[in-house]
Amino acid sequence: MPYNIAMVSDYFFPQPGGIESHIYQLSTKLIDRGHKVIVITHAYEGRTGVRYLTNGLKVYHVPFLVIYRATTFPTVFSFFPIFRNIVIREQIEIVHGHASLSSFCHEAILHARTMGLRTVFTDHSLFGFADAASILTNKLLKFTLSDVDHVICVSHTCKENTVLRASLDPLMVSVIPNAVVAENFRPLSHPAYPPSEFGNHMVPVQQHLGPHDTITIVVVSRLFYNKGTDLLVAAIPRILASHPHVRFIIAGSGPKAIDLEQMLERNVLQDRVEMLGPVRHEEVRDVMVRGHIYLHPSLTEAFGTVIVEAASCGLYVVCTQVGGIPEVLPNHMTVFAKPEEDDLVAATGKAIAALRSNKVRTENFHDQVKKMYSWTDVAERTERVYDGISGVLSEADFYGYDAADAASWSATRGRAGVQSFALIDRLKRYYGCGIWAGKLFCLCVVIDYLLFMFLEFFAPRDEIDIARNWPKKIRVENSRRDQRTFKR
Amino acid sequence: MLTVAPHLRTRRPSPTTVEYTVSTSPPPTLPLRLLLGLTILLRVTIGLSVLLLLYSKFLLSDYSTPLEPYSSRPQLQSNAFIWYLAYNLTTSRLGALFTHLATLTPPIVLLPASFTILYLLSLRLHTTESLLVLRGLGIQTSSSSSTFLSGSTTRFIPTEKIQDIFVNEAFRGFEVRYYLVVVVEGEESVVVVFPRLLPRRQILETVWRGVRGCLFEPEEKAG
Repeated sequence: MPYNIAMVSDYFFPQPGGIESHIYQLSTKLIDRGHKVIVITHAYEGRTGVRYLTNGLKVYHVPFLVIYRATTFPTVFSFFPIFRNIVIREQIEIVHGHASLSSFCHEAILHARTMGLRTVFTDHSLFGFADAASILTNKLLKFTLSDVDHVICVSHTCKENTVLRASLDPLMVSVIPNAVVAENFRPLSHPAYPPSEFGNHMVPVQQHLGPHDTITIVVVSRLFYNKGTDLLVAAIPRILASHPHVRFIIAGSGPKAIDLEQMLERNVLQDRVEMLGPVRHEEVRDVMVRGHIYLHPSLTEAFGTVIVEAASCGLYVVCTQVGGIPEVLPNHMTVFAKPEEDDLVAATGKAIAALRSNKVRTENFHDQVKKMYSWTDVAERTERVYDGISGVLSEADFYGYDAADAASWSATRGRAGVQSFALIDRLKRYYGCGIWAGKLFCLCVVIDYLLFMFLEFFAPRDEIDIARNWPKKIRVENSRRDQRTFKR
Repeated sequence: MLTVAPHLRTRRPSPTTVEYTVSTSPPPTLPLRLLLGLTILLRVTIGLSVLLLLYSKFLLSDYSTPLEPYSSRPQLQSNAFIWYLAYNLTTSRLGALFTHLATLTPPIVLLPASFTILYLLSLRLHTTESLLVLRGLGIQTSSSSSTFLSGSTTRFIPTEKIQDIFVNEAFRGFEVRYYLVVVVEGEESVVVVFPRLLPRRQILETVWRGVRGCLFEPEEKAG
């Protein structure tokens, strides 16, 4: 059954990044599956108003104040009137928020619940529990997630993190990983897409590396503290000292770029380390295929799409064993290191040795990754979540048979597996958030509800035009799916 | 009661000409006409009395020279007649009442209040905006002004200057509205049709289809 879905996040194109492309890819695939998807984000410079992207994906760039790293100013209620207008004119049924730092997303989920819509939240990042900023974010997250229908995390580590941060019932958190568009990340030797009709299943040839051939190590990352640039600064001179035929290519920009450059000058390594500066996402593949090893020194990472992209390009991956990274790739594609200098140097050495002895079949990586990660699969699994929260799937189907015991459910749940919209039930859920926070949250919810009533009176629903849908093509997939159901 | 939601009226004097009018005025029936006449009468009365009040205040100040009484009635179409009328009015009982009122109100209250009232009185009750399409010539947009003091603003765009006409959406205040725009060649900004009323999608779509159908010559089939 097709849904009308609104993806809400502060982060969307034209700004580059993982969350942005996740939203875009997921939306496109959901549209392919017959749903209607719109994206609500804030206005970027030179990108305002209502726009359409390929495939009829409609994007609302709401004019809003941006304060820090493309995040809007958190005003709890000011987004409501325009959000309500958009939701009504697009006949939205499910609001899907992305990214826990996006205040837009939190507000949208709160308002959507007030308006009686189903909500889903996708968490893309890991957070600590100790520092002030994290505590604040976690509190905010707890506020929003007290009354969300379902949460999606990109990895199991991320799920664990989110469940702890927001005190959620683990059953209402699903893990759906990111994916990559494998066609955009193919190795140099791989035949171009689409494969020709003659079915040239060209078996990729193994490339032999002699003991004196140069091995190039690629690093593509924003140069921030949390991406492990300090680790990189410490490790590069040692790696280069012990392996004479190794080169580095570093792409990306950020506040830590200056540290890297200083390190290069101190050790006079300019001829062996190439700094490319910022690269666009579509150019990443061209950088990656120049190398043999991808080094990912990140200190925290919820998923790490970039290592999947690297493996898809046929690179052997050396990465730190943090966050969700160990779940992402199978063991034969990666060498893990602890997030410390010595271990990173040792792991890189191991990877170089393995490549030199030609033990790693990197040329097969692309096809393996292509089988493991696809956006179509992500969209399918997300659709299942939508089915679950709107009650199309039965509780036992969606949450598993053990969970169907009524005893394991919290008292505030209404009909099996579906969060009740009654204000009193919502208040109960918020009240449990903390001694003071609970009361504050309840106050916010009550004000939000009053605001909703006010808007219903002063901006009546029947005065809002219903937007026309993008004309849909007849899906080719229909017939294929029918066959599948037939087989079952 | 006197205004309604913006609605569309179409006039088609010839097959190649069509005029779309969007207005907030209800269809003119006899009671409505009477009511409108009454409001105009009311406006004129209130406006004149405000002017009289201002004039009495002026007479009380030091800047004015006292009016001289006329011995005989001057000719009707002359300046003197106006002064004669003013003198008679201010010396009448009504004039005395207004003078009394004028002494009571301080000028700091009287001036802004009376100007506000005069402005409010000059506001039009209805907004009417129209789009006239002439095949082979172009389109003319017109939009009534908000006050009676100025006429409607019209703009003619010749066919060869029109690049495109389409319906778009944009944020306006706290909502997203549909609007019909004309893209004019060589101009930085587009021309919005019905800029004040911004009618609803249904109306815009009708107008858009009509304009597309009427403005351009139907393409002749080859052969």
